[in-house]
Amino acid sequence: MSKLFPVQEIGSLAKPKWRTKGLRQPLSSQDLSEAEEWAEKLGIDDFHDRAKNIVKTCDEKERAKEVLELSTLYGLRLFETAGVDNDGVGGEQQRVEMYEHVIKAVQGMYLLGHVHSFDYKYFNKGVAESKISRKHPIYAPEFSDVKKYAQRAVKVPITGPYTLMDWSFSGYYVQKQGASSPKTRKIEAKREFLQDIVEQVVRPEIRDLVNAGASWIQIDEPAVTTHPEPQEMELFVEAWNETVRGFSCKFSDHTCYPSEIGYKVLAEYAPKLDKCDQLALEFANRDTSRLGVDESSREGYSDLKHFVDAGFSGEFGLGVAHVHDFTGNVSSGAGEAVGRDLIESPELVRDRLLYATKIVGNPAKIWANPDCGLRTRTWDVSFAKLANLTKGAELARETFE
Amino acid sequence: MSPEIQLAGIHPRSEKLIELTRSYERAKTSWSQVEVQFEQETKELVKLQKSLGFRHISDGALGWQDQLRPISRSLKGVESGTRYSRWFDTNTFYQKPIVVGKISAGEIDPNDFLRTELLTGERSPKITLPGPYTFSQLSEDKHYENYPDLLSDIAIAEREIIKRLRKEGVSLFQLSEPCLVYQPYRELFRNESEVELALNAIRSVVKDNPEEFVVQTYFGDVAPIFPKLLDLPVRSIGIDLFETNVSSLSEQTSKTLVLGVVDSRESYVEDPYWIADTARKLSEQLDVQNLVFASNSDLKFVPQGIANQKLEALSKASQLFEASR
Repeated sequence: MSKLFPVQEIGSLAKPKWRTKGLRQPLSSQDLSEAEEWAEKLGIDDFHDRAKNIVKTCDEKERAKEVLELSTLYGLRLFETAGVDNDGVGGEQQRVEMYEHVIKAVQGMYLLGHVHSFDYKYFNKGVAESKISRKHPIYAPEFSDVKKYAQRAVKVPITGPYTLMDWSFSGYYVQKQGASSPKTRKIEAKREFLQDIVEQVVRPEIRDLVNAGASWIQIDEPAVTTHPEPQEMELFVEAWNETVRGFSCKFSDHTCYPSEIGYKVLAEYAPKLDKCDQLALEFANRDTSRLGVDESSREGYSDLKHFVDAGFSGEFGLGVAHVHDFTGNVSSGAGEAVGRDLIESPELVRDRLLYATKIVGNPAKIWANPDCGLRTRTWDVSFAKLANLTKGAELARETFE
Repeated sequence: MSPEIQLAGIHPRSEKLIELTRSYERAKTSWSQVEVQFEQETKELVKLQKSLGFRHISDGALGWQDQLRPISRSLKGVESGTRYSRWFDTNTFYQKPIVVGKISAGEIDPNDFLRTELLTGERSPKITLPGPYTFSQLSEDKHYENYPDLLSDIAIAEREIIKRLRKEGVSLFQLSEPCLVYQPYRELFRNESEVELALNAIRSVVKDNPEEFVVQTYFGDVAPIFPKLLDLPVRSIGIDLFETNVSSLSEQTSKTLVLGVVDSRESYVEDPYWIADTARKLSEQLDVQNLVFASNSDLKFVPQGIANQKLEALSKASQLFEASR
């Protein structure tokens, strides 16, 4: 029997200051003092040699390369030291963020400008100005560093085609449509744009990753629950199935923070996703922070039933740790609120896993993970959360041994 | 006379203003610097509208943080809360109003709604407000036991707000009612009796001066409720052509139709000839005489440069349309 409740990371870790600064300007030894502290904790034995090289190099590209490589190594070691079984790509240290990182690698697209999100928050939105194709590999250079340093299993999170389409303007694809009805024109443009993202950008990238040895690809599709209409969901399924067609690696979907309707609609369509071995979902955010394996204590996990009822037979990546600011109360034994952070206790993690097992029916189908990437938390907090997560998984495992 | 062109909601901020507001949030820029830029951009937008022949001028609501907030803050019994919810199926968010007591109009400061000082003397100012039904649907009710009571109180309070804004010279009020045609996160939608309640709430808001109102729908197909909307005692009905099955519309009307004929969620700037042609086909299909050309919803979903080009395209299309009549 393989290990029950294996632990996985989901995506990003915060980028250390030295990583961000090091891409823009030369670093001093002082700039690397934080890295030095963590080197000891994470067992980065050759830190001083690497730091010396980074500080003395005058070549900007060389420095950037070394900084990215080192931060990837740190990310991987942080996960490993915390006891995480699958360490992803070390916290996506080589990506700006999930959207722009891809758009910058697409021929025929550019970032058009910022649009309002809320208050004084904005996002930079890309547009297709001509037929699109992949300009250069997007994740493969990062994966090459990951392979060099990873001591445990890894997976490669990539941004899914539906999300890339949804977060972008179709531009050229609208312009070229012949339909006279505005509605039809828009629908046709969307479909063609999505097809090209799949065929010209995402599939070539997956091919490169698989050829380079990637055995598990996590497709991040946060946008899918934004559009619960059948027509949109069918489009998502179609794009997914075409994306994974012919590849033999493991695929998982990660969709977090669904719109107000929750996961119900995604659950209905999940069984139609070819080769989708796992759904990694966010639940801790909606759950209580008190111990217990009863329905009311674990109200945040109620949507899990929809997936089981709909017949999804794959694994679940269960969000058992909150990744955003926390403002609620924590019951005795369930964890500790420190400033804006919640450090879940191992017992709370255990109870979440055990409750999910009751719903899913098979503990072998459940992985433990944070709700999403931990990029908004400090490394100290991320480490503490992950360490408790792995201890909680161990406690849950013990109940079956 | 060529079709009028109107702004249909919040206009986008420029990259410069965006940078200033971000810098303000990081405490690196003073509010007065941000304010100067808000004022300058509002003036530029007013100027642009005049140059394009707009007959109703809007300030673009550049300072609005979301579509509901000024109303939320002007109502007694409503708290803004801190929870952000998704604005329909867009990648933008609004602060969810929380209804905690009986709703009535509170202290109304017109400056929360529009730049009165910059619109003084302008021809026929227009303002866009969420309609009572949409406001109620996007709020969280913790007080009312009966939904009709909530909706009725919102309508009465909104009428008071409008009365106050009228005193500031506003002469055209757009009530945006996207929830009448699209509610992505509700399992049951558009029940007949609920539609009637919604329409009654609108009637309540507009009853003093119905000719001053546009009821604008967007993000969804207006066809199923189009005949009912045409029965509303208002000046115009707005439809989102990018979501509506136009072929399903058959009712003839003497009402003015506001055609959402440029897409506020797409950066491609529509060809004026295409806009004019699309409008011509629809006007023939419905035998409608009075048209207004507009974007289908707030242009804040595209960068400012694109939004301005879309307004220019509408203006040009209006001339082309008139020339072909």
